[in-house]
Amino acid sequence: MAKRKLAGAKEPAANPQTSVQSTGNQQGSKLENVRGRAPRLLIEDEDEDNEDGDEDGYIGDEAEEAEEDELEDESDLEEYDGEDDVSEQFEGLLDGAISDSESEDEAGDEASEGDGEENDADGEPLHFKEDDENEEHEDAAEVITNSVSDDDEEDEYLSKYSAASEAESLSSISSNQDDSRVAYYTTGADGRPRPIYHEIDPHYSSDDSDLEDMNTIGNVPLSAYDEYPHIGYDINGKRIMRPATGSALDSLLDSIEVPEGWTGLIDKESGADLKLTKDELELVKKIQLGENAGDVNPYESTIEWFSSKTEIMALSAAPEPKRRFVPSRHEAKRIMKIVKAIREGRIVPNKPKVRPEDEQPVYDLWADDLQEQQPHVMHIPAPKLAKPTNDESYNPPEEYLPSEEEINAWNETDAMDRERDYLPRKFSSLRTVPRYEDFVRERFERSLDLYLAPRVRKNKLNIDPDSLLPKLPSPQDLRPFPIKCSVTYRGHNGRVRAVSIDSSGLWLATGGDDGTVRIWEVLTGREIWKVTLVDDDEAVQSVEWNPVKDSGILAASAGEKIFLCLPPIFDDETEVTGQELLAAGWGYAAQPAPVEHINKEQQCKWIKPSTKLASQGVDVVIVCRKTVKQIAWHRRGDYFTGVSPEGANMAVLVHQLSKHNTQSPFRKSKGIIQRAQFHPFKPMLYVATQRYVRIYDLSTQSLTKALQPGARWLSSFDIHPQGDNVITGSYDKRVTWHDLDLSTKPYRTLRYHARAVRDVRFHTRLPLFCSASDDGYINVFHGTVYDDLLRNPLLVPLKVLKGHTVVQSLGVLKVVWHPKEAWLFSVGADGTAKLWTS
Amino acid sequence: MRIKKKHQAGAARNFITRTQAVKKLQLSLADFRRICIFKGIYPRAPRSAKKANKGSTAPTTFYYTKDIQYLLHEPVIQKFRDHKIFARKLSRALGRGDVSDAKRLDENRPRYRLDMIVKERYPTFLDAVRDLDDALSMLFLFAAMPASDKVSARVTEDAEKLCNQWMAYVARERLLRKVFVSIKGVYYEAEVKGQEVVWLVPFKFPQYVPTDIDFRIMLTFLEFYTTLLQFVLYRLYADAGIVYPPKIDAAKVQGVGGISAYVMEGKREKESLLQTSTIKKAITESEMASRAQTISTVLNKITDHAAGDAIATPADDDDEEEEVTDTLDKFIALPSTDTVISDIIPQPDETSPEEIVKTLFSPFTFYVGREVPLEIVEFAILSLGGTVVSESVLDGYLHVDTDALPDAEEVDFDARQREVDALLQKVTHQVCDRPALASRVPGRIYVQPQWIFDSLNRGRLVPVDEYAVGATLPPHLSPWGDGAGYDPEGFDKEEEGEESEEEVEEVEGDEEVEGDEEVIEVDEDEEDEALQHQRELESEAKGIIYSSTTSKKRKRADKKLKKSAEEKQAEEEKELRKIMMTNKQKKLYNQMQYGIQKKDTRRETLKTKRRKLEKNKQNKKRVL
Repeated sequence: MAKRKLAGAKEPAANPQTSVQSTGNQQGSKLENVRGRAPRLLIEDEDEDNEDGDEDGYIGDEAEEAEEDELEDESDLEEYDGEDDVSEQFEGLLDGAISDSESEDEAGDEASEGDGEENDADGEPLHFKEDDENEEHEDAAEVITNSVSDDDEEDEYLSKYSAASEAESLSSISSNQDDSRVAYYTTGADGRPRPIYHEIDPHYSSDDSDLEDMNTIGNVPLSAYDEYPHIGYDINGKRIMRPATGSALDSLLDSIEVPEGWTGLIDKESGADLKLTKDELELVKKIQLGENAGDVNPYESTIEWFSSKTEIMALSAAPEPKRRFVPSRHEAKRIMKIVKAIREGRIVPNKPKVRPEDEQPVYDLWADDLQEQQPHVMHIPAPKLAKPTNDESYNPPEEYLPSEEEINAWNETDAMDRERDYLPRKFSSLRTVPRYEDFVRERFERSLDLYLAPRVRKNKLNIDPDSLLPKLPSPQDLRPFPIKCSVTYRGHNGRVRAVSIDSSGLWLATGGDDGTVRIWEVLTGREIWKVTLVDDDEAVQSVEWNPVKDSGILAASAGEKIFLCLPPIFDDETEVTGQELLAAGWGYAAQPAPVEHINKEQQCKWIKPSTKLASQGVDVVIVCRKTVKQIAWHRRGDYFTGVSPEGANMAVLVHQLSKHNTQSPFRKSKGIIQRAQFHPFKPMLYVATQRYVRIYDLSTQSLTKALQPGARWLSSFDIHPQGDNVITGSYDKRVTWHDLDLSTKPYRTLRYHARAVRDVRFHTRLPLFCSASDDGYINVFHGTVYDDLLRNPLLVPLKVLKGHTVVQSLGVLKVVWHPKEAWLFSVGADGTAKLWTS
Repeated sequence: MRIKKKHQAGAARNFITRTQAVKKLQLSLADFRRICIFKGIYPRAPRSAKKANKGSTAPTTFYYTKDIQYLLHEPVIQKFRDHKIFARKLSRALGRGDVSDAKRLDENRPRYRLDMIVKERYPTFLDAVRDLDDALSMLFLFAAMPASDKVSARVTEDAEKLCNQWMAYVARERLLRKVFVSIKGVYYEAEVKGQEVVWLVPFKFPQYVPTDIDFRIMLTFLEFYTTLLQFVLYRLYADAGIVYPPKIDAAKVQGVGGISAYVMEGKREKESLLQTSTIKKAITESEMASRAQTISTVLNKITDHAAGDAIATPADDDDEEEEVTDTLDKFIALPSTDTVISDIIPQPDETSPEEIVKTLFSPFTFYVGREVPLEIVEFAILSLGGTVVSESVLDGYLHVDTDALPDAEEVDFDARQREVDALLQKVTHQVCDRPALASRVPGRIYVQPQWIFDSLNRGRLVPVDEYAVGATLPPHLSPWGDGAGYDPEGFDKEEEGEESEEEVEEVEGDEEVEGDEEVIEVDEDEEDEALQHQRELESEAKGIIYSSTTSKKRKRADKKLKKSAEEKQAEEEKELRKIMMTNKQKKLYNQMQYGIQKKDTRRETLKTKRRKLEKNKQNKKRVL
């Protein structure tokens, strides 16, 4: 059975002959095995086959009839089960049938010819079934009628039925012949033609047996076929002809007389009216309503699990509680609550839904109109974005358009470092302007700035930068001051390191690296006197005139020696006084020195010069231990200091001219001493070390003040003629002004020299001072000091004197003011001395 | 004396790091960011980060401690916490599949309002107006943004609505002062309540949205700005006596939308309408005529008749003389005498240039071509009192797709055509942006859109000929000028000035030269000596005295020398004065000089570029 079904499934539209054949074969073999039960089985099979044949719509007429008979008699046949006689009878019948079959082969079905002879051997039942001979049928009928009561009516019915089935089978044959799936025939093993079918792709939709008249036009609208007699093509590519449509009148009539299942729709596939059965319409309706389209009864009768009927076995014996019959007060309460709320308008039933955003009322937020207040001190409002400039215009002036290089540079720079975040572009008209790609990004970055960027208040000064320049009196009002070089004194070989002007202002003394001291006539620039103090390898470090008028004494230091000279340039009177002054000390020097000065005398010796020097005007030579770098006279002209920086505690020595005596004021070394100078009128000694300027009171022999110019290495300092102010110059390019009344720190630090400052000087009479530097410039300042303690000194830069050339990175080495005029003398590394006049 | 502990006072106490702040507020970082945006709290840069960070120099963000302290009691933060709980409940309900519960929860989700925060941040109305720049720019951006999964359509819709309300207000009150079309978009400046408000509107294209932008931040800002602008607009509308929110004319919205769809309805209809005499009449008329872009009078008339719309028609002017006008009275001071002094206080004047700008376009009707970005042009024209007729709207009006309309309406196209013709009769200017026009209507002035902007920025009607159709436009300059102080327009004058000086000198020179002799003018200062020599020879050959020209030159050179000498001296003096500056001053001075120099160099490069361009131009002319 299962196999049969399978075969049927495999070949749904298969020729029933073949299927019958195969089944016949199998059944035949079964028959042999189970002889005893064969008839019943056979009949059963036949019955099944018959049904199949009906389904397929094909079966031989006679066979049909016979089978029908058998069908009718099935119930009767069953009675024979187990009765051997009957089976034997049947066997005999079968045998007869087999013997007949061979003779009938020619007249028999062509299809059955395909079966081989072996089939014949065990294919009797098949032939029995297949054979459509009337006689056989009659035989069978006879046999059956023997056992069953004869019935004429039944015969009639049978004949009728057979006729109908004949017509049916014919039509089905014709349709089967149309079936294209029967591709061609080949001769089978039994010599009969065997149809060969196309390969079937066994996927789900391959079984399209229900779509026989498929129109294959696909998505092409049906209207495209309006002009043609056909409406498409079937699966074989044959035209599907347009079904005959009635005239307009017909359709009208159709609409009046609504036929069964009329929908008014047209089947797109076939072009005919689409008719739906009642059930289908019901199904469509259900789907439209969203009901269950399946075979579910929604109105199933309820099963009353709990009912008023008293059960024999009650679930609970308890009597019904009262609350089941009394209306709930709790519910009433809750309902009343809602009713009340509705009445009061707290609940609005069926309120239309509002967007919560719309609910928010807008009102006058600033109705109370506060007075504008000063914002909190710590509040820093976000800065507004910069206003767009011309170059952002869609049509900027042409000069704003970037050149090729600018565009390249812009592209190369990182987006963060760009000055502007866009490149200026020019569009001929408004309609050509495209969108700006970075718009969203820029807004986003602004947002980030607003909430992420740390804010700091920066006061932007909206002032003219020139207003920052200090208001100073015009240099014209501060005249006289030196502005130009009027005389240049040439003669020295190598650098000129020292310069001094005598108190009359007529004679200029200079000393240089060539070891000579020269005296020049100021106004003419003529060299008057010259003496070579030391050999070439040693330089004259310092030259100072004795400040006493008409003394004519010149002190010069070279190497470890200090020379006191009397240049033979003055008149006799001056010369005599000078000689007296110089010679007076020799007597003291002869006397034994006091005990405490023994050491110092060992350090310095006052000796007479060699005859050569003596003839040239040198009268006294003081020999020290170390190189004497600087000499400074006391204002009275009796004492002078010599500074030798390498001398440790003997660095500063105070020499007394009148007694040819030398004292060392310090017991300990104070560092590397740079300069030492006497106060202009007080008994005080100013000593400059590398970092500090120390002020010692000579009368109390104590330190009164230590100025801190803040420089790394002082080069020079000078004391204001009034004594309360000090200027210092340092090798680290700065000049400081100290007001001793104010602080030990500088009042002003002036840094305007490009190189180390070599010398600073106050004018003794006029409010002028100057600084000389290695950059070759001399800066001249006005510096007024007021008697009023509340007023700070007024410093005014006046002039930069440029004239000295820089030689081996050394510029101006020393300067000195003229005692009366606003003239300035300077000496430099270029071997010249210059006079700067106003 | 007790020893003071370190980091117990001062900067260490005044500033708090972000991590500390977040911990203190018990918020997530995202919520902290939101609250910071809402409340306008920003990080600070303490003077010494090391002191503020208790000795550590690690890079840190600092907040002002008191800012954070105030936040502790912020109701919105409580709402954030509620929201967290709500989110938990909702997710649980959804996880259980409890839909009704989820729905109920969602309906009752905690919502916060930002109005009190707005009030806190801007205690007075003017504060709020002053800070509108960013708000407006952001809203206008979102109004132009495509709705996406990140930006919901509702957000863009709301933004657009607010923007239109703002523009409608500005246009109605004629507060627009400057328009600048840049490559980024259009900058507008309006003077609202005496405050300058500048905002940027992108061109109407779909915005490019980079993928790496965090829209949560932008949307948080937008949320605040939306609230802010709502309240500001309410107040502004209230002050102007208009109903807020303004009604929207549905017909106009269907057209092109935009600002003229907003019906600015007076609060006390009659009063306001009567009071507004001339200006307001013009406005309403302009609005009527401007179906935003519009066709309008016609449409409006129709609606007016039909619905009895509140828009003013100059019908009841009868009792206008008796009404109190809102124009100012003129105060005339008594003349002051020797003994009695009477000061004159300046009074706002209707003839002042600002007032004139407000009615600059009032006599004109503009026909705006469909290729012109209407939203820009319309806003500018309406703000200057003009009337707008838009081609695109007319097209829509005349060629209605009848199928699209609901079947009830019957369109009388002939009547419409007549209406439109009548409207077109009034057109004085046509704004078009095409290379050429096929046909011109006599009596109309044809301009490019830039004419409107330049006229607005200058405060006067600029000559039309430069802005003719197809003409090369003059440069569109920023009304805020150039950052470097370079004035492209003043450039010509400057150059002329320099030249004229020279000319004067030359004239002086001419006087010295004897009368009848021919003189060769030597313009160029830098001439090759060879060339000069050549000239000399030539002139000698012709019998002309060359010395005259040379002498002139020499004189000029002398003058220049003298000038330079003076400059030199001044410079020297300046240098000397610089010496006397303190260090602090010197630094400041140098900083300033840096900025000045940068500007100067930029100015100079621009000038040289311009000179080059001019020269090229002249050369071209010569060649031609």
